[in-house]
Amino acid sequence: MSVAPDLQDNQLLAALPAEDLEHLQPLLEPVELALGEVLYESGKRQAHVYFPTNSIVSLVYVMENGASAEVAIAGREGLVGISLFMGGDTTPSRALVQSAGSGFRIKGSLLRKEFDRGVALRQLLLRYTQALLTQMAQTAVCNRHHTVDQQLCRWLLMSIDRLPSNKLVMTQELIANMLGVRREGVTEAAGKLQKAGVILYLRGRIEVIDRSKLEHMVCECYEVVRDEYARLLPWTATARGALAMDSGPRSGPRTREP
Amino acid sequence: MSLLPRRTSVVVAPATLPINNRLVAALPRAERARLLASGKLVELVFAEVLYEPGARIRHVYFPLDGFISDIAAVDGRAALEVGLIGREGMCGIAVALGVDVSANRAMVQGMGSALRIGVDAFRRELQRSPALQRLLGRYAFVLLTQLAQTAGCIASHVVEQRLARWLLMSHDRADDDTFSITHAFLADMLGVRRVGVTQAAGTLQKRGLIRYARGRVHISNRRGLEAAACRCYGTDCDTWQRVLG
Repeated sequence: MSVAPDLQDNQLLAALPAEDLEHLQPLLEPVELALGEVLYESGKRQAHVYFPTNSIVSLVYVMENGASAEVAIAGREGLVGISLFMGGDTTPSRALVQSAGSGFRIKGSLLRKEFDRGVALRQLLLRYTQALLTQMAQTAVCNRHHTVDQQLCRWLLMSIDRLPSNKLVMTQELIANMLGVRREGVTEAAGKLQKAGVILYLRGRIEVIDRSKLEHMVCECYEVVRDEYARLLPWTATARGALAMDSGPRSGPRTREP
Repeated sequence: MSLLPRRTSVVVAPATLPINNRLVAALPRAERARLLASGKLVELVFAEVLYEPGARIRHVYFPLDGFISDIAAVDGRAALEVGLIGREGMCGIAVALGVDVSANRAMVQGMGSALRIGVDAFRRELQRSPALQRLLGRYAFVLLTQLAQTAGCIASHVVEQRLARWLLMSHDRADDDTFSITHAFLADMLGVRRVGVTQAAGTLQKRGLIRYARGRVHISNRRGLEAAACRCYGTDCDTWQRVLG
């Protein structure tokens, strides 16, 4: 588990021109992210920007009554902490590690300097910002219009797209928090998927065993976001195919011409 | 007036424009003058569609009055408003982020006018003006923050609170206590069924906060409406103020 991550394992970093990445390298510090770890609390100042490699971070909106709903996730295709280079100070969402693993982090002030200096880095981070805006809008739609069953399918697919295998370590409580539903709702939805032979679910471990069935059951939100990421960040589409080697054939993201 | 939206028409040369858009007003004088010179003042016609999802963006808009809804489509039919843009903002932030295809539909929700700039001219100005880059970076951050807020709000607040929030946001951008809005439209904006809107609007009306008849809504008691809205309304305003104010 604690093999040092490779810069190339984060697709944003990997998409940088070699000299820009070389320049950034000494500023990036490898980190291990533990399941359930809170990277940022909403409304608090943030010190670091994170580039996950094989971990997934969930951006969770926390309501005044303590209830929460996931508004976006970021994994190896992206980063966590946009506000640090966009000129904001705090964030409205909590950043919570939903799948343990590695990544890199960089001090916000340092990235900010690089953002102002390097054209390639700036363009890349801005495009990623637009992709994240799309994901958030679609998540809002999904939260409003789709069933817990569909949301769970979307959430599973988006998660395994960001992982090197089809296996997730997850508690039902964490999933319930992400989807903003009660635990029983998740239990029921997961039970249905298990019965349909789509997932194996045992003591906090979920394995997706029939991905194509899952893709068949999911709402359109999954495809909308996946296609938009493929269009805005085309290198993530290629890398995803390349990284999917240990989990059997996956249907690659369809690219859509604008 | 015709019920069908007319095409946007150019009404005034922008040199004489009052700078009602708060983003444009925040620019240093020379950069502001250049931005104004690169665009045209156009009328925003109620229900006019400015962007379609998946289509190329040809112009960006800085509303002076009136407001534009940012609408995400779902299942090709139902829709949901994910943002409302008035004189505090800009329609077409994707272009500033390096993307010229719209993800959502943008539709005029409150008629008025806007500074409209062609994408190429806007890109040129953006390249020349570090102040504009910084400003729009901050604005993008505000949008991201508000969108996260909205996604959370949609998932967890009741229709009545969300309707109150929506009315306040529109009121802020409308320059008038009375504005047009149809029932079907409100249902789409909030992503609920019409009957849900009827009930929520009825409750707000009974409490003397609004009057709502024949597609016109009048804000009678703004303070009361603020108390009826979820906290997201205030948080949104604070975000803007903190980052751009």
